[in-house]
Formats: sequence, structure tokens, C-alpha cells
Amino acid sequence: MRNKSSRFAIPYVIWMALLVVAPIVLMVVYAFTSESGSFTLDSFASMGDYLSVFTRSFELALIATLICLLIGYPVAYAMAKEGPRFQRLSMALIMLPMWINFLLRTYAWMSILENNGLLNQFFRAIGLLRLLGVDHLSLIRTQGAVVLGMVYNYLPFMILPIYSVLVKLDGSLMEAARDLGANSLAVFRKVVFPLSLPGVLSGVTMVFVPSVSTFAISRLLGGGTQMMLGDLIEQQFLGGSYDPHLGAAISMVMMVIVVVCMALMTHFGEGEEQAVVL
Amino acid sequence: MKGKRNGAGRLLMALVFLFLYAPIFLLIIFSFNAGNSSAVWQGFSLDWYVKLFQDRLVMESVYTTLLVSILATAISTVAGVFAAIGLFGLKRRWRSPLMSVSNIPTVNADIVTGVSLCLLFAAVFQGWGAFARWFNSIQSAVALPTRLTLGFTTLLLAHIAFDIPYVILNVSPRLRQMDKNLIDAAQDLGCTWFQAFWRVILPEIKPGVVSGALIAFTMSVDDFVISYFTAGSATSTLSMTIYGMTKKRVSPEINAVSTLLFGVVLVLLILSNVLELRQEKLAQRKSALQNPAEYRPVRSHSAAPKVTKAPWFRRAVAVVSVFALVGSVWALASVAGSQPVVNVCSWGEYIDTDLITQFEEETGIRVNYQTAESNEVLYSLLKSGGGDYDVIVPSDYMISQLIEEDMLAPLDYSKIPNFSLIDDQFKNLPYDPDNRYTVPYAWGTLGIIYNTTMVDGPIDSWSAMFDPANAGQVLLINNSRDALGIALMYLGYSVNTTDGGELQEAYQLLADAAAQGVYQGKVMDEVYQTMEGGNAAIATYYAGDYLTMLENNEDLAFVVPKEGSNWFVDAMCMLKNARHPEEAHAWINFMASTDSCLANLDYIWYGTANREAIEAYPAYYEELYGEELDQETFDIIQTPPEVLERCEMYLVLPKETRDLYKKLWISLGV
Amino acid sequence: MSKELIRLSDCVVKFDDEIILDHLNLHINDKEFLTLLGPSGCGKTTTLRIIGGFLTPTSGDVFFDGQRINDVPPYKRQVNTVFQKYALFPHLNVYENVAFGLRIAKVPDGEVRQRVTEMLEIVNLKGFEKRPISALSGGQQQRVAIARALVNRPKVLLLDEPLGALDMRLRKDMQAELKRIQQELGITFVYVTHDQEEALAMSDTVVVMDGGLIQQIGTPEDIYNEPKNAFVADFIGESNILDGVMRADGVVEIFNRRFQCLDGGFPPDAPVDVVIRPEDVDIVSEDQGQLKGTVTQVTFKGVHYDTIVDFYGFKWLIQTTDYCPVGSRIGIKIDPDGFHVMGKSAYSGLFGDYSSYSEEYDEIGDATMEPGGEDGEDEE
Repeated sequence: MRNKSSRFAIPYVIWMALLVVAPIVLMVVYAFTSESGSFTLDSFASMGDYLSVFTRSFELALIATLICLLIGYPVAYAMAKEGPRFQRLSMALIMLPMWINFLLRTYAWMSILENNGLLNQFFRAIGLLRLLGVDHLSLIRTQGAVVLGMVYNYLPFMILPIYSVLVKLDGSLMEAARDLGANSLAVFRKVVFPLSLPGVLSGVTMVFVPSVSTFAISRLLGGGTQMMLGDLIEQQFLGGSYDPHLGAAISMVMMVIVVVCMALMTHFGEGEEQAVVL
Repeated sequence: MKGKRNGAGRLLMALVFLFLYAPIFLLIIFSFNAGNSSAVWQGFSLDWYVKLFQDRLVMESVYTTLLVSILATAISTVAGVFAAIGLFGLKRRWRSPLMSVSNIPTVNADIVTGVSLCLLFAAVFQGWGAFARWFNSIQSAVALPTRLTLGFTTLLLAHIAFDIPYVILNVSPRLRQMDKNLIDAAQDLGCTWFQAFWRVILPEIKPGVVSGALIAFTMSVDDFVISYFTAGSATSTLSMTIYGMTKKRVSPEINAVSTLLFGVVLVLLILSNVLELRQEKLAQRKSALQNPAEYRPVRSHSAAPKVTKAPWFRRAVAVVSVFALVGSVWALASVAGSQPVVNVCSWGEYIDTDLITQFEEETGIRVNYQTAESNEVLYSLLKSGGGDYDVIVPSDYMISQLIEEDMLAPLDYSKIPNFSLIDDQFKNLPYDPDNRYTVPYAWGTLGIIYNTTMVDGPIDSWSAMFDPANAGQVLLINNSRDALGIALMYLGYSVNTTDGGELQEAYQLLADAAAQGVYQGKVMDEVYQTMEGGNAAIATYYAGDYLTMLENNEDLAFVVPKEGSNWFVDAMCMLKNARHPEEAHAWINFMASTDSCLANLDYIWYGTANREAIEAYPAYYEELYGEELDQETFDIIQTPPEVLERCEMYLVLPKETRDLYKKLWISLGV
Repeated sequence: MSKELIRLSDCVVKFDDEIILDHLNLHINDKEFLTLLGPSGCGKTTTLRIIGGFLTPTSGDVFFDGQRINDVPPYKRQVNTVFQKYALFPHLNVYENVAFGLRIAKVPDGEVRQRVTEMLEIVNLKGFEKRPISALSGGQQQRVAIARALVNRPKVLLLDEPLGALDMRLRKDMQAELKRIQQELGITFVYVTHDQEEALAMSDTVVVMDGGLIQQIGTPEDIYNEPKNAFVADFIGESNILDGVMRADGVVEIFNRRFQCLDGGFPPDAPVDVVIRPEDVDIVSEDQGQLKGTVTQVTFKGVHYDTIVDFYGFKWLIQTTDYCPVGSRIGIKIDPDGFHVMGKSAYSGLFGDYSSYSEEYDEIGDATMEPGGEDGEDEE
């Protein structure tokens, strides 16, 4: 089948050249040109003005990724330990929210986190606010709220890859480790965790990349004060300050980040493909 | 993996599910709310479901979403399967790099994919325009359209582009697991390649195809970012509609539509689970002694769905393809029977939507009504080619800029008889001195909106915006012109100053206040939600919007500060490359009529330039509501001359000043 | 040699009302090579897992060196296991795999190195230390698995069908090797297999199991020569099992003809199963034969011919070096020690004609028991 079927690759290669490679090439071209079409590095130079956005994006995305990992791993682990019925149920429960638009879910968080939102109402009702002597807790329009939004939206992307690696782990490996004298902690540390690393890495990438590039979340929950790279790019194309060259340059930087992430991932885990498959 | 189920694990999962579902339950609960708040329960009602089916904007975006998702899924599934087979057939040396390229859309940040596709489409359209003009010039038999815009086609292409890799990723492992000799065996037994594909490969890789298609569909439905950059202005998916709404106030209709979608998916999931369960029980009964219990369920699990999924999913796939077929026929039909259209871009909650229906009924012209968030956003949309509009409603200073950049078309006032009704006060204003391009739509003032229960005494000065005493309670307006304008006015400078020192001073004022934590956030239309909910005490916004907020929160008050303020006119203009000039004129004329202005005035609470409407409004109000119009309210709508005297209109600023604004705005914290 | 090390006492294992082990009693002596032999689902692996500590019996007790160890987790038992598919850690190389248990036990580095090297030498894998597991052949992986278990110096080594995945030749080599290692190190081996030849070749004691019950315990010779019932007779080697009547001590009647045999102790005229091993039958000319029959099929097997002979409609398998063409009439002669008489059991009549328990049957059995078990593993 090999030789004959390879002809089907040709249309796809053309498709990729047009709709995957060409846009990226164009983006790079934009990044290195000025409005008049001449070569310039101005866009990269003016990125310096936005250094705070870069640092904030990375900081918040890293925190969100870390939190996702800390929550997601135990959940994936607990899930993988359950019976198949429960596993299937929890898989479905994790996937299901994806069918509600993420903007809407994030928006729902707004009404929870507002100063007069449900959470503050709840705190007021149980007397916590009086105890603290404040009218409300400032939850929304903070960095914390943005991180919460990211964790909320991207947690499934951490759980699923880790879970799918864990659930495929050969049970006899863990028995073998126990047989060789490892207690539960040692089994986890020496066998389960190292073997689940490909899942962890793909989870980390799958959370970090969208987190660092998120837009809308920071706007809804960060109240316009926590601009992220995504918002910045959006601003250059469809937002308040039109400058596609700068936008392309920032996008390019972001892509480089992704490539580095990917390279790290393929370096550590051999899972070239299964990683992205849910 | 196996092990003892432990309580801690279950508890953790329960907590995580609570976390994941809390907002969703909230959303579902509030879809049954009688009021339009998403935080205060005002009684049970199904109103929003009824309204949903009457709301064309939402229904159309639901339809677009489903159509694009189904088409993209169907196309990318077929294409992806063949692409996967093709790639699989290549030598490893070729396959690996190609797979990496193929995976780019799955790993790249969505926004990068979206932006780069947007750039590509813009470039292609430009190239096509040049070609079409040349082609039309050398022959006259066929006239090619010279102007292409983002729309459903580009949206579909983008969706296919990011869906295919998911299909490939799901199909490839199946191909790799497949016995390499199967296809040879099939051909040996007399199959042609395609028969072999159909009878041998396809059944073998089916689980991968099905899961690939499911993931592609989910990705398409859930996508916002890529659609946002590739759909253009005339096409809107549900996410884009929601995004537009999140800026202001999400209508509970959206909660209703999401609840319905959620319900459908839930039912499907439960059904498939029940089916699998039944099959599994059968399998379990048969499964015998060999392995200890802990292993067995896992195995039978992996075996059982394969048996059960087949018929169920075959049906599902069949249903989906029928849908796709019907959908595409419908789409084609609607394109063929294209009725006259006018594409309008205005601001959020800036029109009585009944007027749209009325106009459509009267003229048979379909209105594509879009909104932009600010003048600057509108400008970006126009520049990036994302805005395929005929009529836009920019503010004064932006109109100057657009005229300056030759982006507007002069209007044919003979087709706009209602222009004569415009009060002379609103003609020949500085932004359009000879009045060749514009017909005023609405006007108003910028002022301070504050919550009387949250501040001490009435506010009458811009100083409230910078007072550390109000720390954490102030919402700053999220655009540089207005924000710096406020500071300029407080300092007693002109809002149109080009003096770098004055601007620097204004900037310092804002920066100091920001450093002292005065500002809770920078908002545009989010101000509605925040102020109505009593979540902030002070904000700067527009007069008409204040009245809308007042309806939902009686504690709010509005003032045009004593230092003076900005007054603005938003006027209707036609874009230079408008594709529907006739319809555009009809729309402008319709919106300038006295009846329209009255209805609109009553709906948006912004001042009108129509003389008759201004005079008739108090009577109109009394007739409609059975009570006399409060003079105070009317003064906010139609700002009296003595207040207007304090106010200044924005003029277009020179490029250097604009750049300075941008720079200062960035330093103010991005 | 005879000190008792492990005792399973009245062990019952049930999964969802299904009885996997039925009141099992078994003791294993120190330095013994004991094999649990039986078809799939007979309970042999379950027994092994109880000893390993991966499974707690529903009822009954497990004793190790006189101590009850029901609740001792696997990592605290002086028992190590070689798993069916080796269960080698894919993220570690050969050296680290073998060193795993020692590292867990916090053995000093120097000693780890010495013991691992030594063990790799014993299993003939010197020089493979740095290899990744994926770069090893099946036989090499097998040796790593053995080394990994043995390096911890367990009192007992459990082996779960360790040679199942190897080809015929390698299997024979590894059998000899395992036996050598066992004798060299003087460790108790508990070995699970469904291959009777393997069991006979290696074991000091063979435990034949079926349906969660022990059918027979004994030395390989006992098991082969003195099967306790038709199941054992059939499972161990090929045999002709016939209905007979014990007329008196030393006299058994088959096909209404009386033969002299060495067995006794049955009540007079008791119905019995008579086992005659194919190699115990001598072919003689028709007139000299105790029984006369027609050759219906001959297969050349190298050392001998498998000759199927029809006696009064009942087919026997006879292994002989003399070639008798199909259709020829022959006679047979059986020495008294060629008869093995057993009492009737639940298995009587199940193994008609010359049928014997073959591996193929085993696999067919597997297939029906686990539909699609193998290829479903990679489901997403």
C-alpha cells in the first residue's frame, strides 16, 4: 500500500503550503517590514514598550500552568485508578464544558467574582466580610482572577493528556516495582511519574501556549488592566491601535516560544503524536 | 493503571467538577431568570427561550456556527483520512517533517493562526483585486468581482485548516497499528485499491476516524479566536456574537441557547453511555477466569466500545452527513436567491432593533447589523479589511480622519430627503465643514456616572476621577482620547491640545491616580454590568448610556462636570468601496426620519439632530408611558445650550500627537 | 531441602461470585522448584499472585516461614516476581532496571554496582548495562527480568509464564538456564506454566491444577506415570484413556479382554479409567497381538511414527519406530507396567479417543474467553 497511497499526500502538501506555511511566511514578512514595504526592525524595537505585557503574560501563564499541573495531575491519577465506568463518566464530564462557549463560561465567572457577585454575597452572608471588616473582597479585575480564568479554561487540557498516559500504563510495571520493594510513594516517584512525563509535558504545553496567548479572558476578568500578549496582538489587528506589522512581530515572537516549547517536549518525551490526541 | 479507589481522589475529583461546573450551572439557572441580570434572581420564566427564537442575530450566528462546524468537520474528515493515508505511505524521511508542519495549527497559539490566516486572506484578496481589474480591462465578456472580503468562505477554510490536523492525529496511530499486509491481502484477493480502502482500511481505522471527526467538530464549535480573525464582519459565529455581547451585557438569550446546546450534548452522551454499559455487562458476563478482577474491567472496557460504538456512531455519522448536505444546499439556495443587503456597523446598544425589522419590511433590503467597540476598533477593522460595511457611524474626530485618508464616499443628498429635517446646529460641523459625507445619527456628552449610595455627596468635578479617597471604586474609560481628555479638562486645557507638555501633565495626573490604586479597571461597555451591579462607584461614560443604566439601578447619577466636557456627534457615513450604495442611502434616509429618530431616541437615550423629533419627543413620551417626561432626564438626553457651552468637540489630531497619545497610553499600563 | 517455607491454607478467591480458587491447600519447601501447571483459568496465576502479595484471598491464610502474611504488602515480602511480559521499566536502561530494587532498599552504590554486575553475569548479559530496554530481544529482556528479581536475593522467586513469549529454541535454552540458576543460587522457584513439557523438565514438584482445584501434586515422574485422574493423564503427555473394569488386583478388562497390570486396591468389578501411553504399546504381527486393529493414519514425527490404529471403532495413538502402512492389520502387545488404572472421576469420558490437551486448544480457549482483548488496548 505504501507507494500507491503516498499520492494522497500531494494534495495535502499543497494545502499545507497554502494554508499553513504561506500565512506564517507572510506573518514573518510583515514583522520585518514597515508600512511602506521596506525592511525594518522597528516593530521589534517598539516591542520594548510592551515589555510589561510580556513579563506579565509569562508570569501569569506560568502560574496558571503550575496550578493546572498541581490540580490536574492528582485528578488524572485518581481518574486512572477508577473503574472503567467511572472513568468514562469523568472523561465525559471533563469534555462536556467545552461545549459551552468559553467566553460564556468566563463571563459567568464575572458574575461570581464581582464585588457584589455571588462569592462576595456568600461571604457576606456567612459574616466573613464583617469579620474582616471590609465591604467586599476584590476578586475581579485582579491578576488572580485572570489566573483563575486560565486555570478554569485550560485545566481539562492538563488532565486529559496525563490521564491518557496514566491509564495506558502497564499495571504490571507498578506491581513489579512493589515487588522489588517500593512502597506506594516510591512506586509513584520512580515509576509512575517518570513514565507519565510525556503526558505531563504535553499537558504543560497545551496549557501554557493558550494561556500565554490568551485574549478575552484577561479582558473579562482582568478588567482591562491585565493586558496579555493575546490582547496586545488583537489590538494591533482588530483593536484600538492598528499596526499589523507590530502585531505580526509579536505573533512571530509567540510562535518562536511555541516552537521552543515543542522542541523541549519532543526532546524529553518520544510521544511525537499521541500527545495532542485527546 | 489500577489500584484501590480512594476517598481522597474522589473528593478531589468532586471538587474539580464543582469548579468546572459551577459557572455552567449558574449560566443554566439564569437562563430561566425573569430579569436580565446574571447575578440577581428575579423569578422563573421561559421568556429568554422565546426571545431567543425571535432574535435573528443570535439564531443566525447559531446557524452559522453549526453550518461551518458541520461542513468543516465533514470536509476535513474526508480530507484528513486521505492525507493521513498519504503521509503514512511516504518514507519516514519525508513523513516526519511533513507531520511536523501538519501539526503546526494544533500547537500554535490560536491567535497566531488566526492572525496569520487573516494576513494571508488580505494578501490574496489584494492580489485577486489587481488580477480582476486587469482581467476586466482586457476583455468585457466576463466581469470578475474586484473586491473580495472575509466571510463564510474564509471562515470555512480556516476551520478546515485547523480541523484536518486533528483528524490526521487520530487516524495515524490506527494506520500504524494496522497490519501492513492487510491491504496487500485485499488486493491479492482481487480488490482494486479503492475497494481495499473501503472494505479493509476504513473499517480498520474507523475508531480513529470517528474520534477525529468528533474532536474536529468540538474544536470548530468551541473556536472563537480563529473565527474572530477570519470571519470578517458580515459573518458571525455564536462565539463572536457572544464576544460582542460580553463587552456590554450578555443577553440571557445566550444562556438559553447554551443551555439548549448543553442539553443536547448531555442527552447524546448519556445515550451512548447507557448503550455501552449494557454491552459491557454482556461482555463482562462472558469474560472469564483468566485475569484477576482489577485488570479485567479495563480490558473489557477497551474491547466493548469497539463492538457497541460501531452501529451507534454509524448512525451519528449518517445524521451528521445528512445535516451537512441539507445545510450546504440551504446555503447555496440562500446565496442564489440573494436579496438586496446593506451592511451597517454601529455601536453596541445604539439602535432600537425594531427599526431594523421595520426597514426590512418596508424596503425588502436585508440589514446586516454589526457593532464595533470604539472608533479606534472600527478604524482597525476597516484597515485590516475585516470590515465589509456600507454604512458606518463613527464619531466626529474619526470622521475627519477617515475623510483625510479618503476612505469615505460623498453622499448623494438627493437620495436623503430627510436630511432637511436635521437642525442647522448639527450641519457643517468642523469634522465635515461642507457637509458632503455625513448625516448626524445621535449626539451626546461625556460625563461622570456615579452611584449615590457609594459616594459622599454629589460629584460635580472631574477631580473625583483622581481622588485617592475613591481608591478602587473608579472605572477609567478604556480609550486614550477620552481618558487623557478627562485629565486635560480637569487641568483646564483643551481636549484638542497638541502641546506635548500639557499632555504629559495630563498623563502624570492619570499615572499618579493609577499608582494610588484609584482605578478598579479600565472598561468600555463592561461599564454597564459593573455600574448596574453596584460593583464600582464612579465611572466616566456617555450620557445616553447612563440613562440605560439608570433603568437597572436607580441609585446612579450623571453629571457633566463643571470644568466642562466633550460633546460628540456620531454621524452616518458611507464607505468609499461600499458595495451597496443604493441600499446605504436608503438606510441613512430611513434612520434620519422623524419616526426613526423618535423611536431611537426613546430607546438609546442619546440626543437626536432631527428638529421635528426633538420637538415631538415630550409628547411622544407621554403618549407612550402615560406620564410626563422628566425635564432632568430630557436635559441629559438633549443637553441644554448652557451646559453644551462648557463642552468641546474632539477634533482630529495630527499624527505626532496621535503617536504621543499612543505612547502615553502604553506607559499608563498595558 | 525439606523445610517448609510457604503454606497456603484453605485459600478461596472469588470475583463477583465466581470461584477462582476453591479451598486450596499447598505447601512449598525451601529450595524447591515447584511448578503450577494447568490450562488457562485454572487458578495457577491467582495462586502465584497470592504468594506475591498482589492479591489477598477472600478467605484462608498464607504463611511464610510460619508467619501469617495475608496483610503484608508485596514490597515487604521476601519474594520477587518475574512477570509474564517482564514488566521492565521502559524509562530505565538495563543496569537501572536491575538496580531498581537495590536502590529502593537504599543499598550503597558500590554494592549495587557489584551485585548488579554479578547478576548480569549470571544471566549472561554482561556488557548490556547501558542498553535501553527497547533495544533488547525477547530472550534478553527475559534475562533482565530474572536478574532484576534475583538481585534482591529473595527467598522465593515467582515466575509467571516467563518463557511464554519466546520461541521454541530459546525456550529450551532458557529452561536449562533457569534450572541452572535455581540450583546455583539455591532459591525456591515457584513457576507457573501451561506447558507440561516445561513443567516436567524443570520441576522438583509439579502441581496440576484445573478449575481452581489442585488435581495432583507430585514429582514429574509421579505425575506422568501415575496420573490421578483422566484430566491429569490427558494434560500431561498424550495418552489413550479407555473405559475398563477392574476384575481383580492386577487384572483389568478392556474391550472384554483381560490384561495383566500392576495396579490394585480397587473393589472387584469396579469401573475404572485405563491410561495407556502411546509409547508403551508395541506393534506385533496380527496373530501375536493381544488386540487386533487396522492402521488408519500414519504421521512421521522424526524419532517415531504417530500411528493411529482403529480397535473396534475406538482409535488409539501409538508411537512406534516401526512403519506400518495405512490399511494394514496389526496386533499390539502391552506390558503389565504399560497399564495405568485410575478410579472414575468427574473427568472420565471427557477425553475420548487419543485426544490430548494441546496448546492449540489452549489458545482457542483463550480466544473465546477474551474477545478482542489484545487489539483493543490502544483505545483512546
